[in-house]
Amino acid sequence: MAQMRASWMLALQYRAGFVGEAFGAIFWIGWGVLPLIAVFERRPEVAGWTADEALIVVGFFAALQGIVEGFIDPNLRAVVELVRQGTLDFVLLKPVDAQLLVSFHRSTPTKLPHVVTGLALAGWASSRLPDPPGVLEVAAALLLLLCATSILYGLYTMVVSTAFWFVRVDNLSYLLLSILDTGRWPLSFYRGAVRFVLTFVVPIGLMTTYPALALRGQMDAPGIVRVLAVAVAFFVASRLVWRIAIRRYASASS
Amino acid sequence: MIEVDELTKVYRVPKKTPGLWGSLRAVFRRRYDEVRAVDGVSFRIDAGERVGFLGPNGAGKTTTLKMLAGLLVPTSGNVKVAGFVPSERRAAYLSRITLVMGQKQQLLWDLPPTETFELNRAVFGIDRATFRKTLDELVGLLEIGSLLDRPVRNLSLGERMKCELAAALLHRPEVLFLDEPTIGLDVTMQAVVRRFIARWNEQTGATVLLTSHYMADIAALCARVVVVSQGRVSYDGALDELVRRYAPDRRVIVQSTREPTAEELQEAAPFRLREGALEALVPSREVKDVVDRALRTLPVRDLTIEEPRLEDVIARLFEDSVAPVEREAKEPSA
Repeated sequence: MAQMRASWMLALQYRAGFVGEAFGAIFWIGWGVLPLIAVFERRPEVAGWTADEALIVVGFFAALQGIVEGFIDPNLRAVVELVRQGTLDFVLLKPVDAQLLVSFHRSTPTKLPHVVTGLALAGWASSRLPDPPGVLEVAAALLLLLCATSILYGLYTMVVSTAFWFVRVDNLSYLLLSILDTGRWPLSFYRGAVRFVLTFVVPIGLMTTYPALALRGQMDAPGIVRVLAVAVAFFVASRLVWRIAIRRYASASS
Repeated sequence: MIEVDELTKVYRVPKKTPGLWGSLRAVFRRRYDEVRAVDGVSFRIDAGERVGFLGPNGAGKTTTLKMLAGLLVPTSGNVKVAGFVPSERRAAYLSRITLVMGQKQQLLWDLPPTETFELNRAVFGIDRATFRKTLDELVGLLEIGSLLDRPVRNLSLGERMKCELAAALLHRPEVLFLDEPTIGLDVTMQAVVRRFIARWNEQTGATVLLTSHYMADIAALCARVVVVSQGRVSYDGALDELVRRYAPDRRVIVQSTREPTAEELQEAAPFRLREGALEALVPSREVKDVVDRALRTLPVRDLTIEEPRLEDVIARLFEDSVAPVEREAKEPSA
């Protein structure tokens, strides 16, 4: 994609920023691990998760966070700006799918180290499990992570589409980012209402916990299919909402 | 090429009473005003024509252009451009048209223009050979060869506009919608852009619909004009005819040997001091009387009779058809 190329060029123009982000990624992930170390110092497992298993969740969380912050959030947040300033005109004038175009037009490749570090952490932690995952488990985990990305993308797109009605919705994307933060810990760490919300309403918990469960060999085929269905549903819904939203676009006067 | 029938666009603009309390109330209960930005506009434009689209601010020019380009969905009425319905935004349609807006830019701010060109090449699916050829042509006509590798943020407004035009024409569109392409440019740069548009139209046979606040643009480029005011077409035809119809006047200009006294001015009647000379706008049949009187009463050194300026004509046309009070909120601000 040429859009991606342009984003990369932009990112590499600021090479110092790239290196900085890489170190930042390691620092923040390390920071996120600290509470885990503190907790698991005193007890071998929490809510059925050992330290290494919880570390897998943290790794996946970091990877997903990198994907969101680098490739979903900046693009869709920029849509809000495009709508507000009316420069979405130029996107709509191009003979390609507008949703596709805005979804890639302002990626921040500097977040890539974040994704890589997160995956590496998950990989390292899973290799320390008493029963290390095989090819099938790894494939299932990656598939679930892909589903998670699709669900997040769908959520984001729907939230951002409301910009066509309300114009300023940047704050909603902050809300989403902070909700995403809850995916840092395995789902079973939470209880009651919170757990219900994180599983079914805004399925953040499912995004990081299920791939980790897959690595532990605890996701069966029907479970994976269900997540897959949810992912597809979110994606389709996001396209519908976007379609409706675009007809409401009023541009900005000049 | 372009067929517009009874085109109407109604915006719903949130209404807010002033002050904090008004803002608070607007959060919970929004009230809307309906603004008819375009109200039953019809016209036809043939392939290869260059047509000027005139009207005061907020007359509905930009809204009409945006509906033609498929950005806005009309509230009612029909539009057909090159056989397509613009609001369906089919890829085949979008690759046949272009919209250039003097107030907005598509160039990537931190990168050289070539990057935007390359991006458009990919997005429009132009093969490299054709791209190279078109780009060379555009670079030659616009004289932008030396700008291609400089970041856009380092270019001047005029340089940016030239690159903007190049970016918008790489896919060789058949229809050009140009919304104030010369706005903010200095006189020389305006002339360059104007010349370019004329040459491009002649070379490619593309249809051009142009709005501008600079009458020189319209005079130089468009034999035909469509005038809109208050969302309706108030004139559609030859520019010459428009000038004749709304400006039967001549400008009689007198250079005087000395400052005329108030009495002399009063006797000479319609003369006013304008740009260091005495000037009178008079209907053609009265020209003789006015000149006679001027020669008798004023200390004349030189006297000339000229065609009225296009600006004056248009201003008068708008005064005729426009109630100035309602002008402001024609297009929504967001």
